[in-house]
Amino acid sequence: MSVTDERVDVPARDFDPDRAWRVHPQVALRDESFGALAYHYGTRRLLFLKSRPLVDLVSALDRFESATAAIEALIPGNERAQYTRALARLAKSEVIDAY
Amino acid sequence: MLLSEDQEVQDAEALTEDEVDELLVEEVSIDGMCGVY
Repeated sequence: MSVTDERVDVPARDFDPDRAWRVHPQVALRDESFGALAYHYGTRRLLFLKSRPLVDLVSALDRFESATAAIEALIPGNERAQYTRALARLAKSEVIDAY
Repeated sequence: MLLSEDQEVQDAEALTEDEVDELLVEEVSIDGMCGVY
């Protein structure tokens, strides 16, 4: 399955894994036992990141030239499609943004 | 007769990709919490 598969439920233009991404400047991450809470002060959206690898991935995005590079470095091969969809979901909610 | 382990495997396979994705990210609406304050 490609990362731009329709089942991602996010228009492909909204999340391009080949671009550089970062935690949105208006988002605060708070570590929790299950992963982290993400709160967007602009949209007032609250999201649960329910996996430590996902929290580590999101936190490290700005150290990589693209989301794809971050995923390849931090996520095992058989889980990359799932984590790519998770990033697409976070992009849709503006937890992460391209820069 | 299914062993419990077999049943768990079947349950995992029955999950759709969307449901699996929900295991990673879940959005919560906090609009209804305004009255709390």
